[in-house]
Amino acid sequence: MRYRSFLLALPIVLAASQATPQSLVPGESGNEVEPARFLSEINNDGPKEAERLTLGMWVAAGNVTTYTVGNSWNDWILWLMFDKLREPSPYVGNAEDWLATRVEQVSDDARVWEIELREGVEWHDGTPFTAEDVAFTFEYYREGPSNRWTHHASSVPRMVGIEVVDEMTVRLTSENPMPNFDRITAADLPIIQKAQWEGVENPREFTDIGIGTGPYRLVEYEADRFYRFEANEDYWRGAPVVKNLDIVMIRDPQTMFTALKTGEIDGAARPVPPELVVEWQDDPDLELVSAPTLWATLLDINFAREPFNDRELRRAITLAVDTAPMLDRILLGQGKPGTHSWPHVDSFWTDPTLNAPYDPDTARAILDAKGYIDTDGDGFRENPDGSALVWDLKTASNQPLFLRAAEMVEAQLAEVGLRISVESLDPGSISALWRSREFDLRIVHSTPHGMADQDMLIINYRGEANREITVDEERRAIVDRWLAQETPEGRLAVHYELQQYNTQWPNRILLWFPESTFAYRWEAYDNYVPSAGYGLFHKYSFLPNAARDDVADPIIFAQE
Amino acid sequence: MVWLRTAAAYVAVLLLALTINFALPRLAPGDPLSFLLPEDVLAEMTPEQEQAVLAEFGLDRPIMVQFADYAVGVFTGDLGVSIRFGAPVWDVILDRMPWTLLLMGWTLALTAVLGTALGVAAARRQGQMGDIGTTLIVLAVGSAPVFWVAMLLITLFAANLGWLPSYGAVPLMAQPGSADYILGIAERMILPVAALTLAQTSGVWLTARASMAVALSRDYVTFARAKGVRERDVFWRHALRNAILPIYTNITIGLGGLLGGALVVETVFSWPGIGQLVVQGVEARDYNLLQGVFLVATLSVVLANMLADLTYPLLDPRMRR
Repeated sequence: MRYRSFLLALPIVLAASQATPQSLVPGESGNEVEPARFLSEINNDGPKEAERLTLGMWVAAGNVTTYTVGNSWNDWILWLMFDKLREPSPYVGNAEDWLATRVEQVSDDARVWEIELREGVEWHDGTPFTAEDVAFTFEYYREGPSNRWTHHASSVPRMVGIEVVDEMTVRLTSENPMPNFDRITAADLPIIQKAQWEGVENPREFTDIGIGTGPYRLVEYEADRFYRFEANEDYWRGAPVVKNLDIVMIRDPQTMFTALKTGEIDGAARPVPPELVVEWQDDPDLELVSAPTLWATLLDINFAREPFNDRELRRAITLAVDTAPMLDRILLGQGKPGTHSWPHVDSFWTDPTLNAPYDPDTARAILDAKGYIDTDGDGFRENPDGSALVWDLKTASNQPLFLRAAEMVEAQLAEVGLRISVESLDPGSISALWRSREFDLRIVHSTPHGMADQDMLIINYRGEANREITVDEERRAIVDRWLAQETPEGRLAVHYELQQYNTQWPNRILLWFPESTFAYRWEAYDNYVPSAGYGLFHKYSFLPNAARDDVADPIIFAQE
Repeated sequence: MVWLRTAAAYVAVLLLALTINFALPRLAPGDPLSFLLPEDVLAEMTPEQEQAVLAEFGLDRPIMVQFADYAVGVFTGDLGVSIRFGAPVWDVILDRMPWTLLLMGWTLALTAVLGTALGVAAARRQGQMGDIGTTLIVLAVGSAPVFWVAMLLITLFAANLGWLPSYGAVPLMAQPGSADYILGIAERMILPVAALTLAQTSGVWLTARASMAVALSRDYVTFARAKGVRERDVFWRHALRNAILPIYTNITIGLGGLLGGALVVETVFSWPGIGQLVVQGVEARDYNLLQGVFLVATLSVVLANMLADLTYPLLDPRMRR
């Protein structure tokens, strides 16, 4: 098996090495996130500082701890309060030192890393930030209840040694190599205060105001209603230029955008719908910026259920789906069409050659060969045993774009003779499908954490639950080889292999990568910057220019 | 003996409701894990790890143990901890209850007054052009989906005219208790109350109109007129007094729904009441929270019915016997 896997891997590894010229950073594919674009007709010159801003959010952030935040539409609230060792994110590949001043691999096998911390950083309660806090964060996440970030200590990578070398130095040792620790784990894990969290046994019931090192202090909140932040004037990177942030929860999109239009809020931290983007481009009160959020919408096939455990059948389904018209008709061209199975097309570690063709003729041939034949002449195929074939396609009732996509998928699969029944469920039921596996097909979206974090693709195939349902030895062998790689280049090469394998034998097909456009009232504040994966509303937008230049992305203006 | 039977019936209803309240949230697909943790985290968890997370909220125990715990909690006032908010369920509900009472209280008052007045007036002109026109308008408005009515109001009064705020219950910056604060609440209340009143008035209106029309056709009305009783007295003292019972029943049923909140309107206007809490609880499959909210809603319906039973005799002397 190993020999066969090696042979399978060899041409891809060679291709990857050829596709990686010397000018590229080792471990990176050369793919880059699309630059943000200014979309309004007039670029006004509004204030670059503000005493107070009111922003609307739409995804609940609970008590603003790492246990109640975890969705990429609410984590920006968390980042106002908390910092990471390196920033801005694991999505860009070029993270800068933040709470750390040195993150260095100290063993050849990439299992041991040393972190030197920044002197003079203080927590919001005035106590000094030290190595004890960093070591505690890793220990708590390794031993404590799971959350969105705990995999960085308990799984990929799994820390087997967490050592405080001195007051400002920590040494970490992992079970497997972690050659990308500096650009993924260090750039994703929020550091929490040992003094506050030590002894907290049930963090999901923790309702105190969190203490962080970030540029804002949380001064008052009512979970899922509003959050009031004030600037941390002693922030080590420079006092924020917006002194107070009031963040209000508005779930309904129409209400949110009406509140923005009327001036009740100064910015809406949710993407503007495609139709509204067109309408608001010449609005004198608002400015629009398309900023990369690295989300994706996908058609997921339940490979844990028969007959979808047959990889050839899954391939036939994806070959019959044409993503290009979806982008045009559903997103009005605002985004990129899906071309493969995983990951985000703009990730710095995505194989640039990935391509899942639209090929209904091949899809028909595969279905014919598999015995899916139209025996009663009604235009739809029956199962190989002659029984009626109707597959369900489930999607969330609060996602109108997904419903439209489901209808298009239904029509496209009907073209190759597959009968689909579209079902719309409440969002809670859709979320539960991952565990219950009670679906044939579903349309959902995936966060930047799921789409653009290299470790996450491996985690998706590594967990115990997936071990049981991923009855695919070849894929498992690739994942195991990835885990053994000791260099970023080695990981990238094996990752290319996995991406190609997933594209050839898909469990899902990405339908589109949306262009996320955000709107704000320029007269209230006009100094936002984009950051890949976070969009426009995040802490960097409220820092002084000098403090954020290394972590923010540029905006392309029409005249440039 | 009658009172004993009535009390026993209420207890039976309450026990049945408790059982349904416990079962209903659990019948929905999924469990709180899918809310607490994203798919990518769930992907790497073992069944033991999943159980450990559920154990944080006592959801790993056998279902009958959970039910017993819930039943005891109902009578001891301990409804457990909300999975979504991490706080005791009672605290979460009590925090939201005043907002719902405010919203629904005003709605009920306006609905009762407007529905009764317009319905009674319509009965007087039954069959005339004005009555037909009013009936069409009231039925059309009452049949419109409340979210659509709410969005129309937002578009007109918030977006286009800019007269009223479109979301929330309080002005965040005003000092609680100050004039700005109270004024801010009042102006934020207008649109959601208007949406609910428009949607709910038709029920009271139809009842009032029909009930009054029946009363006006009764023999005692004819007899009163034959006696030479003034038309005003016939209308108010003879007809309306007899017609009031169905109207009163309709209003007390509305009273029972006071604490249940208004799911759609509260969500559209970001009004922080019990209705929005239900939506948030359903999203998170927050069993403890939903059980608590359903309990409050059940109790309010039972209490409203009791109130109706107890006060009927005050309105109708025949029931005093």
